[in-house]
Amino acid sequence: MSTTALAPPDGTETTASRSETRRQRRRRERLEERDAAIPAHLYGLKRGTVPLITALCALFAIFTLAPVVWIIINSTKSQANLFGSFGFWFARPFEFFHNFSLLFQNVDDNGTYFQWFGNTVLYAVLGGGGATALAAFAGYGFARFRFRGSKAFFYLMVGALLVPIAAITLPLYLVYAKAHLINSIWGMILPSLVSPVGVYLMRTYVELSVPRELIDAARIDGAGETRIFFRVALPLMVPGLMTVLLISVVTVWNNYFLPLIIFTQNRLFPLTVGMGVWSQVAERSGGNTNLYPMIVMGGLVTIVPMIALFLILQRYWRGGLLLGSIAN
Amino acid sequence: MPAVTLEKLTKVYATGIRAVDGLDLRVNEGEFVVLVGPSGCGKTTALRMVAGLEEITSGTLRFGDRVVNHVSPRHRDVAMVFQNYALYPHMTVRQNIGFALENKKIPAAERDRRVRSAADVLGLTELLSRKPRQLSGGQRQRVAMGRAIVREPSVFLMDEPLSNLDAKLRVRMRSEVLRVHRSIGAATLYVTHDQTEAMTMGDRVAVLRDGVLQQYGTPRKLYDSPANLFVASFIGSPEMNLYEASLEATEDGAAVVLGSQRLTLPGRTDVGQYYGRKIIIGIRPEDLGDPALGHGTRAGATAGGGHGTHPHAPLAADARLIEVLGSEQHVHFSVDATPAGGAAAAAGDTAQAGILAAGAPNGVARLDSRSAIRAGTRVMFSVDTERLHFFDADTGQAIATSSS
Repeated sequence: MSTTALAPPDGTETTASRSETRRQRRRRERLEERDAAIPAHLYGLKRGTVPLITALCALFAIFTLAPVVWIIINSTKSQANLFGSFGFWFARPFEFFHNFSLLFQNVDDNGTYFQWFGNTVLYAVLGGGGATALAAFAGYGFARFRFRGSKAFFYLMVGALLVPIAAITLPLYLVYAKAHLINSIWGMILPSLVSPVGVYLMRTYVELSVPRELIDAARIDGAGETRIFFRVALPLMVPGLMTVLLISVVTVWNNYFLPLIIFTQNRLFPLTVGMGVWSQVAERSGGNTNLYPMIVMGGLVTIVPMIALFLILQRYWRGGLLLGSIAN
Repeated sequence: MPAVTLEKLTKVYATGIRAVDGLDLRVNEGEFVVLVGPSGCGKTTALRMVAGLEEITSGTLRFGDRVVNHVSPRHRDVAMVFQNYALYPHMTVRQNIGFALENKKIPAAERDRRVRSAADVLGLTELLSRKPRQLSGGQRQRVAMGRAIVREPSVFLMDEPLSNLDAKLRVRMRSEVLRVHRSIGAATLYVTHDQTEAMTMGDRVAVLRDGVLQQYGTPRKLYDSPANLFVASFIGSPEMNLYEASLEATEDGAAVVLGSQRLTLPGRTDVGQYYGRKIIIGIRPEDLGDPALGHGTRAGATAGGGHGTHPHAPLAADARLIEVLGSEQHVHFSVDATPAGGAAAAAGDTAQAGILAAGAPNGVARLDSRSAIRAGTRVMFSVDTERLHFFDADTGQAIATSSS
């Protein structure tokens, strides 16, 4: 990739970019991106290939998005309409805000939605954030240091990816019981701190984005290893870390199985388990309780933070941070 | 006392590859030493061992009288310019240059002063708040230099710092690098694969091949009396012409039998042991003259008392191709002798021969631009026989030349 496309070396670019607003810069970057791509008709594909692929993608998008659309529409409905009206269109009365207010209630002493929401946030922030930090350390270590057993440790860790959690439920439960981790938030957080996928991703990312030469240069410049990590390597790892952060937060956020086996106290449940309890109660009562609108609304509120997180983090995927450190 | 001493420095990789083999080198205080050789000859490995980025397999490395084999790079007080510059992409030019000082916990005010003065020397003052990606190749190169000089190091290392620049800029940066070197006066070890860079920049030049030191001396010494065939063909552009030949005695000295021709060497009696044996003879392109322009007219040679006093011998050849460079011209010729030595040279010539069809040239002469020799004609060069180079055909080592 040519750097001149981003910044002409003669200095006109920087003076210009200072006066341009953020919106103008975004627009320019978007246009530059479009200019950098080859138009589809030059790919040399058979006529009709592009529309065909587009159609397939559209079908898949509909398939994926339909539940989201459904949950948005149905969050506005009353219990009667949930079952009585067409699922993909609105029906009066508009109960959205009423449904939302229901989430603050404690239903039959089965727990409060926002208590669970707070728990999930806590587990996700500590577990996901911690997993990201550990992935940064471990990934950098595996990528840039050779030590006795580094290969073995790495493969051991990757191997952990292959073990389904269901297979280790019983031993896990027994260990937890001995370690007094049943009904403890640490029982939830500690296992979430280790993300084999995250470590694997970070190792690959470091290998590609933190050149050995840069580390060599920092060593010559008299920096210690800790300083090299925080001042030189870490800033370059940010786009990769954001990916790992997203993956690990989403993993903890959606984790159902682990909290199900370790928590018996309602006030410790995360959303996944809490909503599960509600569903069971609703089913058992044969649709007589007014729980269904709460479950639909609760589902919507559960996915919103993840969508927001994705939108916030996506700007880090622009990469290109490394341009200029290494001659073309 | 030398600033840097390499004693039998050896690097053997885990794969068993001997990258550097028993390298002996002394770099004096304030001296600019160039390590040169073809790619893969171990020059960069040697440099990285000096920097402390590569473990030394055996041998001793001294800075002054201190053995630093096991000292970490951050405690060696060396500065290094990397081939790819290795600038920190997320830092501004100011932070890049100041990083080493920051690591030494030098107060901000002092740091700023030194960064400014380094930037001043390199003409980077305007660019201090830019990021590397906003700089051109030449500017990045200067930032890399700035990062090194701001340290005021005792040893300065450079790993092909100019190889990523375009040709014009590279020539300009050569003198720039030398100017900076003189202003800081630190012992410098400079790695390059470019013999022109080595010749023009080095106080002394070390030629490396396959990890083994071939010759270490001033550029003049390397050029005038190469120690072996490798140095002879590596140093100098166009390359030295090398042919298989033999020596025989005459009544007043010796003669070289080159193909069907004889070059007499009057008064030459020191090569007796090679009479009747196969040797390799080397003729620098500028030691071939056009007799029409007077004896010993060499392109670029300053007119001196040497004119006419050097003995000359005629050499007949067919001019195949003429490259006019303006100030001089290169005549590619073929002579009825077997080219030898520089295997690389032979390969290069055959590649050209593909285009030129039959009668591929096997030699080149550097003539004054006034010479009227035309391609496709039979020409008679006059060879400066005082400046012939002789090499043992078996060992490739130089046989003492009369001029030395």
